[in-house]
Amino acid sequence: MSDLNFDYALLIPEFILVGTAILIIMADLFRKELGLGRLVLPAIAALGTIAAGAASLAYIDDVDDFANVIAIDNYTTFFRVLFTVVLLVVVVSGYEYVERNIRHTGEFYALLLLSTVGAIYMAGARELLTAYISIELLSFSLYVAVSLAKTNPRSAEAGLKYVLLGGVASAMLLYGMSLIYGTAGSTQYSEIAAAFSGGTSEYGFALLLGLVLLIAGLGFKASAVPFHMWTPDAYEGAPLPITAYLSATSKAATFALLLRIFAGPLLPVIDQWQWMMATIAVMTMVGGNLIALQQTNIKRLLAYSSIGQVGYMLMAITTISDASASALLVHVAGYLITNLAVFSAVIAFHNRTGKEELDDFAGLAETNPYLAMVLTAGMFSLAGMPLLAGFVTKFILFQAAASGGYLWLATVAVIASTISLYYYLQVIRRMYLLEPARGESGRWRLSPAGYIATGTLTAGVFLVGIYAGPLFTVADRAARVLALS
Amino acid sequence: MIPLENFLLLSAVLFAFGFYGVLARRSAIQILMAVELMLAAVSINLVAFAAYTDADRFTGIVFAVFVITVAAAEVGLALGIVLRIYRERATANVDEASTLKW
Repeated sequence: MSDLNFDYALLIPEFILVGTAILIIMADLFRKELGLGRLVLPAIAALGTIAAGAASLAYIDDVDDFANVIAIDNYTTFFRVLFTVVLLVVVVSGYEYVERNIRHTGEFYALLLLSTVGAIYMAGARELLTAYISIELLSFSLYVAVSLAKTNPRSAEAGLKYVLLGGVASAMLLYGMSLIYGTAGSTQYSEIAAAFSGGTSEYGFALLLGLVLLIAGLGFKASAVPFHMWTPDAYEGAPLPITAYLSATSKAATFALLLRIFAGPLLPVIDQWQWMMATIAVMTMVGGNLIALQQTNIKRLLAYSSIGQVGYMLMAITTISDASASALLVHVAGYLITNLAVFSAVIAFHNRTGKEELDDFAGLAETNPYLAMVLTAGMFSLAGMPLLAGFVTKFILFQAAASGGYLWLATVAVIASTISLYYYLQVIRRMYLLEPARGESGRWRLSPAGYIATGTLTAGVFLVGIYAGPLFTVADRAARVLALS
Repeated sequence: MIPLENFLLLSAVLFAFGFYGVLARRSAIQILMAVELMLAAVSINLVAFAAYTDADRFTGIVFAVFVITVAAAEVGLALGIVLRIYRERATANVDEASTLKW
């Protein structure tokens, strides 16, 4: 039995998040007795998140792997910081929306904080059971959060679809994990890698089936085509801040987990999964972007757009190498900033108008030029226009794939990316070329929180697009932990 | 001693039954029961592997205990959501929960 003498201080960020979640539930319980104002809960959530983010920054370069269960290293820290930033953005830009449209605000913030803990441990997991528990901590919180909307009857329906399909995906993932455990004789990543590098010919079929089911289960969580059916429904039915959160943390956490597994324990059997990953990547890039062309609702449009982005990220897993791992981290960071900028603008728009169809954005450039500018920058960045974050991150992602011997895959990605420009432009066309609906042509302003969130994120989109050097350095240091050749 | 293959075969059949149930059944409750079958197959797999290939540690058995616990939580959560739908529409049929187009 190994001794339990670990560096527990490295887990402080998660302690803070869980503690804040419990504090919020208690405060919500005694809200009336204590006479708490409506801003108290989001304020506690935001402060806890900031504290957790600051605490994770304090432990850069410290390493402990807790007997091969959870590794706290630069890779985990990278995602920790990303996830706390996402959480902060969602809380700040979403609190007005939450106030109006959510049934139980206390539970809402507590669930968000807990799901972030799950997401962080997905990035840190070095063992299959830990990975599974972290996935479920994230997913369960989101199943509930999706169905929390007060006024929207589609919310519960979206939650039902999400929880049923999520349950099936978890079962497939677990069956795959059990087969990998059986063939490798261990659930620890390092021991699996050691077992597989010694040759796997004796359990060919069991291993192949295990890989198929593992990829199917994780593909569902990442909403890769053909496992994406839940994505547009959950996005449309969920409260908007949760949609933003789903498209950001849930996706990034799944890729953090995918990268750790496929760059570590499953790297020796790359010949058996590389073709599956390439197939799914192509289907996801092309499928997501083609279906997005027909969408008329902004949430569904962004759902399919995020599916397309997942395709580009899967390409980096396919061509796994040191360069593509670090490119994937850069792209994930750039995508999160851009997507959150778009979503915080959509939330601000919804706060004012209560609408979310594409046609409702007609003439936004006249009624609120600032918001139209933010959305335009975000959409162009998602499409990959130069000077914006999306261009830089996509460029190095495609370049890593091409130099990794997958030029055809990078070509498909470029074509898919060109298709995506069409539907992003559709939004921009409505805002700038169409007249506002009758009776809605008056100018309006955002709330201060709306200005802070959209302003900071848009600045981030431009900053990454123009001066991405520091992000590359950070991603490089995080990817080096994976010790790829 | 019973060969390991028998356990794996049993679990594969059970998993296939569960997956068929998910695809064929239309009631949310029945789908949940089918998912439970799939998770039972996983538990059999894990315990069998633990007994045959990993006998000096308990990894597989511990894993199975966790799977059972998490599955219970999942059913509780899903039933809560089903109940909410049922209150609103007096049906737990996934075909009729179709305000959202696929």
